Amino acid sequence: MVVNELDTLLAASVGCQAIAFADLSTRMILVTDTRSKLPRETLDALCVQAATVLGAHGKIGLGANPSRLALLAEKTSVHLFLRASDEPDDVLCCVCAPDVNVDKLVDEATKCLNRISGG
Amino acid sequence: MPEPYQRRLIDELGTQLMSDMIALAQKLNALAAHDDVLEDGARVVSQSGVPAPLTAFLAVVDETVLERRLDFAAGDVVVSVIAAGRRLRGLIAVSPAAGEHIDLFGKTLSRQEPAMLDAAFALLTDIFTGAARLTVRSLPAEPFGSGGERGISASGLAEIWQIDISETPLPPMSRFLRVNETAFSAVLHVSAGDILATYGDIAGLQSIWDTQVDAFLRAQESLPNHQDGPKLICLEGALDDGSTAALALAGDDVALMVYDPAKLGALHASWRSIFQ
Repeated sequence: MVVNELDTLLAASVGCQAIAFADLSTRMILVTDTRSKLPRETLDALCVQAATVLGAHGKIGLGANPSRLALLAEKTSVHLFLRASDEPDDVLCCVCAPDVNVDKLVDEATKCLNRISGG
Repeated sequence: MPEPYQRRLIDELGTQLMSDMIALAQKLNALAAHDDVLEDGARVVSQSGVPAPLTAFLAVVDETVLERRLDFAAGDVVVSVIAAGRRLRGLIAVSPAAGEHIDLFGKTLSRQEPAMLDAAFALLTDIFTGAARLTVRSLPAEPFGSGGERGISASGLAEIWQIDISETPLPPMSRFLRVNETAFSAVLHVSAGDILATYGDIAGLQSIWDTQVDAFLRAQESLPNHQDGPKLICLEGALDDGSTAALALAGDDVALMVYDPAKLGALHASWRSIFQ
């Protein structure tokens, strides 16, 4: 189950505070981990943010191509958005503390997305 | 009325006092301006060679007024020194032990001992060269040398060792670009709308700057979870040729970079240490 994968990723990623799986075609969060319980408005905003940085619906924020990965680092948070390679509208959204280990998170999140996407 | 020689003396003392006051004000300003990055309680004073570790070492000595033991760590090696009155009194120890330099430790540095100054320079250069990061931990002083020996001022050592410690620190964005230059194949740095620096093939970045950045930033600002302040946005596969692009924002500075995706974690860590 997708939710189990998200819970496993959250447990394995120190500094990761919430994980959601989104469908950019509908701009909806489909499922979140069971622990974080982010409010609906926050989830909606996260999904819109994923679409603007990664590019969706033929609109590209920056560059010439939709991105496979987007990292948005600010003073109080790091947001990582990962797009599934075979389902470009499937996106994993990770909300993290600013000191998260980015390399480890990307590695774990990629494996998680591959399992979800291939399942 | 004071005699002419007394007037000259008063003028000289006044000039000296003013010079000391200006130096003190500059030090206080520098201390107030420190955007310190702490790592396990130690202050990061040099990262990826910026500023040069020996320059950073002397700058720390130069800002140490009360007597302190300073532990400088470069990788696994720690150099402990005693500094006071903006002077380096001497070296206490190096850990792990550096046997061939044993004559240096516990002795006050003096201009009358040039061989000792050369040995201290050689030891510090040997330890600091290539250090990815230099940190300093300030600890209570411990008994060192005899009371009358003051060591050598940081500016005096800079002169002897031919190091420029007055080098103006780079602004944060320039420091970020400099520290990570090996991760970037192209850079476009814009400040207050003016192009400040470019590097590499910037055609793709120039196009993003000319046609997309404004709209992208407006879209970001309209999001309910928008935060003001510095940002780093990394986009993998965004460019025409499939390469990666990043956008860094801080105040009036905007930098667009083509970066090596394998360096994503290092870029983020560096950005965090400079901007947070």
